[in-house]
Amino acid sequence: MFSALAPARTWVGARVFFEEELEMWVVYTLNALYFAALLFLTSLGLNIILGVMGILNLAHGSLYAIGAFMAAWTIIAIGMNVPTFFLFISLLSGFVLAGIVGFLMEKSLIRFMYKRTLEYQLLLTFGALLLLEDIIKMIWGGQAYYASAPFDLLGKVDILGHIYPIYFLFVMFITCLAGLFIWFFMGRTKLGIMLRAISLDREMATGLGLDIGRLSTFAFVLGSGLAGLAGALVVPTTPALLGIGMEPLILAFIVVVVGGLGSLKGALVGSLLVGFTRSFGIAIFPEIELPLLFLIAGIILVVKPEGLFGR
Amino acid sequence: MGATAMTAGTFGTASKAIGQAKKPIPTTPVKIAAVSFLTGAAAAPFGIPGDNTYKMCADVINKEGGILGRKIDLQSKDEAGGVDAQVKLCRKLILEDKVDVVLGYISSASCLAVLPLSDELGGLIVAYDCGTHELMEGAKSPYEVPKFKLGFRSKAHLGIDNIGLALYIKKYYPKTKKVAGINPDYAWGRDSWLIFEVAMKKLMPQVEVVKTLWPPLGNTDYTAHISALMGAGPDIVHSSLWGGDAVTFSKQAIGMGFFKKIRMAYSRGEPYPQEVGKDYPEGQIICCAGTHYFLFSPKDKASADLQKWFVGEYHKRYGKYPTYPCYHAYQAIYAYKYAVEKATKAVGGWPTIDEIAKAMTGLTFPTPSGPLTIREDHNGIEDCLVGITKLTPKYPFPILDKMEVFSAAKVNPPVGTKTVDWINSWK
Amino acid sequence: MFKKPRWIVYLLILIGLLFIPRLLSIYHLMLFEYGLTFAIVGLGFNLLLGYTGLLSFGHGAYFAAGAYSVAMIGKYFPHAYSIEILIPAALFFSLVLSVIFGFVCVRHTKIFFSILTLSLSMLLFALLFKLYHITGGSDGLRVPLPALFGMSFKGIRRPEFLSGTYYYFLLGMFSVSFLVMKGIVSSPFGKALQAIRDNEIRAELIGIRVRRYRLYAFIISGMFVGLGGALWTFVNGHVTADLSHWVFSGEIVYMTLLGGFGILEGPIIGAILFTYLKLYAMGNTQYWMFVIGATLIVLVLLLPNGVAGAIASLLAKIKRKTVKGTTC
Repeated sequence: MFSALAPARTWVGARVFFEEELEMWVVYTLNALYFAALLFLTSLGLNIILGVMGILNLAHGSLYAIGAFMAAWTIIAIGMNVPTFFLFISLLSGFVLAGIVGFLMEKSLIRFMYKRTLEYQLLLTFGALLLLEDIIKMIWGGQAYYASAPFDLLGKVDILGHIYPIYFLFVMFITCLAGLFIWFFMGRTKLGIMLRAISLDREMATGLGLDIGRLSTFAFVLGSGLAGLAGALVVPTTPALLGIGMEPLILAFIVVVVGGLGSLKGALVGSLLVGFTRSFGIAIFPEIELPLLFLIAGIILVVKPEGLFGR
Repeated sequence: MGATAMTAGTFGTASKAIGQAKKPIPTTPVKIAAVSFLTGAAAAPFGIPGDNTYKMCADVINKEGGILGRKIDLQSKDEAGGVDAQVKLCRKLILEDKVDVVLGYISSASCLAVLPLSDELGGLIVAYDCGTHELMEGAKSPYEVPKFKLGFRSKAHLGIDNIGLALYIKKYYPKTKKVAGINPDYAWGRDSWLIFEVAMKKLMPQVEVVKTLWPPLGNTDYTAHISALMGAGPDIVHSSLWGGDAVTFSKQAIGMGFFKKIRMAYSRGEPYPQEVGKDYPEGQIICCAGTHYFLFSPKDKASADLQKWFVGEYHKRYGKYPTYPCYHAYQAIYAYKYAVEKATKAVGGWPTIDEIAKAMTGLTFPTPSGPLTIREDHNGIEDCLVGITKLTPKYPFPILDKMEVFSAAKVNPPVGTKTVDWINSWK
Repeated sequence: MFKKPRWIVYLLILIGLLFIPRLLSIYHLMLFEYGLTFAIVGLGFNLLLGYTGLLSFGHGAYFAAGAYSVAMIGKYFPHAYSIEILIPAALFFSLVLSVIFGFVCVRHTKIFFSILTLSLSMLLFALLFKLYHITGGSDGLRVPLPALFGMSFKGIRRPEFLSGTYYYFLLGMFSVSFLVMKGIVSSPFGKALQAIRDNEIRAELIGIRVRRYRLYAFIISGMFVGLGGALWTFVNGHVTADLSHWVFSGEIVYMTLLGGFGILEGPIIGAILFTYLKLYAMGNTQYWMFVIGATLIVLVLLLPNGVAGAIASLLAKIKRKTVKGTTC
């Protein structure tokens, strides 16, 4: 039974939106930035691994989930009887554990992939995803972990007449820090430049004597850690649950595809594009949500398959 | 056109005997499969309380001698994994494990996919918690009942929640001008909003619907939705969000100042004040999916005593007060028990599945929330309780104030009439 | 071609399969039928993977196209709900979809190709998910029993349908699919695909139109997968948007690899094995994803040519040993 009222309502919504809701644009923008921030962090990790190693890590969402569960568990474990500072530091535990798991993954599985063809790489990471999802279940069980202390503690602030939780601003701040750090690292430090060299031309880099093995491990750990950090940042706002990493994986994927494989600038632009489309899309065309994002990705892929900033 | 096909193969014409078995009562245990969400978002608020109650009731029944002397062998199964996995699980339970009855299903999606298997595979299925009204309704009014000969729902459908909310809003908030809705994008959410909207249009035609949002189940970021709702400026927002979604939404909404101007009307909100605790905002309209509330006492003595026992026993075993899935689980397992006992009286031995189904139709029995009747359409009917949250010093979470009970006749459509058609026919 | 001993083996197997309904309980027969439908899927998918060298992580889209064709006709055109219409419809819609998606995808190879196929299948997933009023959204649609060549099955229970007429129909479709695929891979077209897989540049140089042939392979594989999807719906009784999700596509890749993508019969073995593996795991442990994932990893690392490939190399080793033994 297709509701005939839907188009009419959309029209009313659009009209009302433009006439009365201008002041809401502030909040819509903030929401878009918040969503984009988390997305950027996740897709950054995916992109680093893809760029440096040429591997599409299908288990990336599971690393996000590991970060979320670890952070949630830590926050609950240390409780409220500690200085606030420790609550926020515990978010880093997600980053650390995800990095460790990434390290283990790289050492055990990924290094088998270098000599194999693409099929094997994708299948190994797919197998890793299945494995990790159940390992998470084995360790943390099937229940939801609510760890909202950081969110509650930071409270709210008034922005141009709108109440907004400070925690979301905190997330954006952390993401900016991470982004700046990666930008600086990739552009200015020796290690970063070596990573970029590998992503541009692997054979040449080997020829120049770079230790591909060590550097690839480092890239994988860094990418995994970033996924874990994104997962950790999200738990104060939503419970850690089995399967929490599946949607971020797909969204990060869209960003990578739209922005361009291996491009950090692309990850930024892609994240902002997805974030703003979603935030304003929900306000104007509530029915649209996910398909719109895929449609945009699809169009970009048809027109410019390398993505906006891809090679 | 065309003759029915010949069937080759080993599958015979089993379970077609109606009213012929006069088997003596076996001594082997009765295999009851109870399917609820044991992992995932729905586990803590619904699945686990429901499963706990099944265990509790099975234990109590066994201590009293079992069903006609047969002990209950309760097998708890997980409803997680998606609709397809549930279809496969139910098939396994009925065909391979050969359970006597399947009690289960919290998600409307599961029910819609699984209930048809009852007739398809010849197994008795009693849905205990899912809400979609479409489950038992036909394409047009009047429709033939029952839809499934061996499929039942031991509770009322979401009609009571959403009609109840509309009636409550009309009585307590008659000046409401704008409403909006945020519901999860699947049968449960879509159907809840549909019934609420139709009822509101009928009862309060001057009310304008300013926004409807459809986040996917399991959505973690409601900020965009919260802002969109605030931007549209409704007085009351209807929602059938549940579990982790409801808690996430509430937390993020509290953080964004949502509740300063807007009131929520939750069609299945009863577990959340207890789940969220003191932070849960006051003044929210909550419906109890029936009259399932630990502070509510039914009028007749048998049920009132049951309620006292039920709340006490559950709290003793599990340290919490029972929520509506618990009451629903009680209804399902006892529906089976009473139906078997009633059928045995009629046929004189352990009844077949068809005989049990016949006995369950029209069955009335006492429950902690009042007497429950399962009608000829194999759907239960219940009264509906709606109230507003209020903090009191006695409990560490808000309880319901200004409670109003709408009688079953007011919120359940008559047999054979589609809910939407029935609402539209009101004067 | 029909004189080789291999054909005798096929014939014997086919005759054996005719007796399956008598040997298996209804529950296991249904499992076997799932396996048969996925065998058709695997055959089609392997044309693209094994013979053309393209790894698609989005073939679930064509499965969904076939499956939803059946379900939608059942919902909107119940009077046309018979097999003679449903199967061609499924083939048609999966053809259309694979032409559209294939045209975009075959311009690229390797990781781009995989990413593109994945993205496009997720687009279909998102559409199936969101268009609730048409497709049933995440709840999906029920699939009632179809009419089969004039026979109506109203009032018959699904297990009876599946253990009777439908089994033979499915077996027939499977046999036809197998023969068709065998014909394709043995034909000059099939040889050209393998040439493209082995060395794209050389193939281009000898005059093979690489991109066009890739597209043809893509379309044929899409249609096979769509056929499998349509046949699957009657066994499952229910379709959901998850059929177009990339995880389901991953399972299709998995079962092809499990069987071995170097041999024609490989995916058939893989499909049946995977069906049982998955259901066995799901029925016996709550950590079935771990079991499937671990099996996959072990498979990729130790048995890269799949089960069929391992058996084939074993047979080859034995043959070599016996030949050695008989040198004079």
